[in-house]
Amino acid sequence: MECKTAVSLMHDYLDDDLSKEQRLMLKAHLLSCPNCRMDFKELEQTDMMLYSLPHNIPSASYELTERIMNTIPQRKKQKVWVKWMKIHPAATAAAVFLIIMLFSAINIFNQDNQLVIHGNDLDEVVINGNTVIIPEGTTIAGDLTVENGKAEVFGDVQGNLTVIDGSVYKASTAHISGEVKSVDRALDWIWYKISNVFSEVVYR
Amino acid sequence: MDQIENRLTKLALNGDQQAFAEIVELYKDKIYHLGYRMLSNRHEAEDVVQETFLRVFKSLDRFDPNQKFSTWIYRIATNLCIDRLRKRKATYSLDADMNDQEGLDGYSLIPSDNRTPESELMISETKQIIYDAIESLPAKYKSVMILRYLQDLSLQEISDVLGMPVTTIKTRVHRGRDFLRKKLEPKL
Repeated sequence: MECKTAVSLMHDYLDDDLSKEQRLMLKAHLLSCPNCRMDFKELEQTDMMLYSLPHNIPSASYELTERIMNTIPQRKKQKVWVKWMKIHPAATAAAVFLIIMLFSAINIFNQDNQLVIHGNDLDEVVINGNTVIIPEGTTIAGDLTVENGKAEVFGDVQGNLTVIDGSVYKASTAHISGEVKSVDRALDWIWYKISNVFSEVVYR
Repeated sequence: MDQIENRLTKLALNGDQQAFAEIVELYKDKIYHLGYRMLSNRHEAEDVVQETFLRVFKSLDRFDPNQKFSTWIYRIATNLCIDRLRKRKATYSLDADMNDQEGLDGYSLIPSDNRTPESELMISETKQIIYDAIESLPAKYKSVMILRYLQDLSLQEISDVLGMPVTTIKTRVHRGRDFLRKKLEPKL
């Protein structure tokens, strides 16, 4: 065996990584080569000295744990929902969508405070500022809807009267054949819109 | 052992500070020892311990429980030490004279650890010689030898920590051992 190979085997021996045959080969070489025997002795001594060194000396100062615990940031409350969002991306998207929808609905609701009148027969309706007057002796055919205004009824309405964000005044001469509805708050308004959509669908 | 750490990391992840303090208690001395041997400086070793645990804390949610916790923390700490050694090399040329103070060179700026309690208590001259020899190793052998002999890691574990093949680690142990043998042989 060459001495170079023997040195490599010596290291493998110290790493506890030699087969029985290799071990025997190394032993045979060491017996016949005084130089390698010397090298092996030194290597083994080095190895043993390294192993003999104490493993946890010196130890860190006592207050180090405390210092570390002071430097780490507190886990924030916020982290909880950030984590939740990471786990449920679909629910997060749905929630964001709902929030945006809600805001836009509120915005739309708040924005139009102009007087709006819906109806089939508006010829005889009198508008005075934001007051809608149905004069005495007139007849409105069909439904009437007033948004953002007052309705004062003296004549006939042959249908439903709906007032959104406003008030209704019914004189003794008034005659409304359908229902009178007064819608004030955002939620009612949304409900009104939704039921409107449904009733429209049903009637079509 | 690994089960304890897995449980503690899970608790710590849920915001249990006490559990994280226990992880610190379990590992701070090992990491300190590693840092001290790598950098030969108490102050820097403590910095490394602090930085290691800060990183562990910040990436707890990325820790894979199928992995050994010790391997993970050793990897963080070893990389921090190697970074520091590299920066040291890049920042100063120790032999260069300083401009503003005559006769002072870079060596005088490195905090000397010669008069620390440890060396006062060091009765065994032999051990001091061995430590000096380890300190004189080039960084890539130093880390391997410290993990092998002072932290009792197996070759496989060192390969996991450093992210290198076992054969490379083996070669480095062999070279490191040979280097130390040559250093120690005339003194002993």
